[in-house]
Amino acid sequence: MPDEPLIKSRPTYTEVSLRPNTQKHLFVSTAQSLSRIRSLYEAAPKGEKALYLFGKPEVTDLGTECGSLSELDVVINALPLASAVYVAGDEGFLWDVHNLAEKAGLASEQIQLLAPESNKRRLFCTHCYAITEEVTYSPHACSGCGRLLLVRDHYSKLHGAYVGVQINAEDPADIPETEELV
Amino acid sequence: MSIDTIQVRVTAIAEVAPAIREFTLAPVGGELLPFSPGSHVVVEMPAEPRPHRNAYSLLSDPRESGSYRIAVRRQETSRGGSIYMHESVAVGDELSITPPANLFSPAWSARKHLLVAGGVGITPFMSYLPELERRGANFELHYLYRSSSTGAYREQLEQTLGERCFLYDSEAGNRCELGTLLADQPRGTHVYICGPETLIAGVHEVAQSLGWPESHIHYEAFAAPQPGNPFEVELARSGVTLNVDADSSLLEVLEGAQVQVPNLCRGGVCGQCQTRVLSGDVEHRDEFLSAAEREQGESIMPCVSRAAGKRLVIDL
Ligand code: FES
Repeated sequence: MPDEPLIKSRPTYTEVSLRPNTQKHLFVSTAQSLSRIRSLYEAAPKGEKALYLFGKPEVTDLGTECGSLSELDVVINALPLASAVYVAGDEGFLWDVHNLAEKAGLASEQIQLLAPESNKRRLFCTHCYAITEEVTYSPHACSGCGRLLLVRDHYSKLHGAYVGVQINAEDPADIPETEELV
Repeated sequence: MSIDTIQVRVTAIAEVAPAIREFTLAPVGGELLPFSPGSHVVVEMPAEPRPHRNAYSLLSDPRESGSYRIAVRRQETSRGGSIYMHESVAVGDELSITPPANLFSPAWSARKHLLVAGGVGITPFMSYLPELERRGANFELHYLYRSSSTGAYREQLEQTLGERCFLYDSEAGNRCELGTLLADQPRGTHVYICGPETLIAGVHEVAQSLGWPESHIHYEAFAAPQPGNPFEVELARSGVTLNVDADSSLLEVLEGAQVQVPNLCRGGVCGQCQTRVLSGDVEHRDEFLSAAEREQGESIMPCVSRAAGKRLVIDL
């Protein structure tokens, strides 16, 4: 069985809304994306919701700070069957949380991702398997092996990353033009 | 039926409940194909004026493919397939069946499997259980029946499954509280329902109201085609016109005229038989087409659906 289904194109993100008949609404957000998820969180019924934040938020009266994905994993693994998870942040983060929730037995329709907060991509090097964060242009040097990688539009859900392939394998001196990623 | 049917011989018939008979089918020459848990076959019965074709779940352990077993509940109100099996089929008879197909396979990634069977709906689970055991999966069987007619295999199930087997004999007043049952399940549970439509609808509704994700609710209903008004069908490609009488399905009439239409479930769920409609209104009775597709009126599932009016032109 292939362990890593590659999506042929980039993932698409649709409108996020509160899931009906839900016992527990779990919101997970980076501090930076809080403003985008806040109104949805506030609209969720009191007593049936929780908000976990990654990074230092400006407003501190809201939610619980969460230090790591493993801390979040404990929270997710205590959710009842009728739960919904809403995630806001960078694309890599979105899929990290998505994969945690899926592993904990949530169905994909129970996990909703807000459109990524920026066009920063997480890059997965197909040569040395290193991850390079916050990539905004292509080609980009791999943080692991230094190869110049073409950032492809193929997204690996497993790594929550875009696949990067060496662009100038034949002639490392041939440096192609840099393009801004959208 | 199409060329790839398999000839089988009935090697044993057993009464497994007052209204249910079990048939063991062995290959006539050659070997039977292996199958996966939840598979079914369509059995063709050589009745007059037209053959009956009914889908039945295979209830043996998928690992024993020396023979297949099916169980048939006698349905007094049906169009005769089950009565034919009960009254006209004897040990030694030959029947044709289709190769096994599976529209109800377990979701192996589930953290827990909740099996809900009503009456003869126990059959697909008979092929699930040995495999669930082998994989060490977490599961429970909830089996609703009426001991004067159904309830096949319950002693055997109780014995092998122990406290994972829950029996509800409606005649003994044992009711299954669906609300409690479905509310008490851990995250990652998948529910599978096989039985009468009312049971499927009941479980489905309760699960939805309790916030179960739709993709964790699985069910199988082989609704035999119901009779309806007679109509005429014109096959646009050949120009032939056929009459569909009140008791036959459109698919059966097409097959009777040697027009091959792919089909797997014959119950309006698999989508195989989808056929283009060129003119005429359709009375949709399937569970396959979306509301929008019904609205468009460009397709019909001939295994169960019929013309709403007197005439239909289809692209065959
Ligand atoms: S044969 Fe399955 S929908 Fe008609």
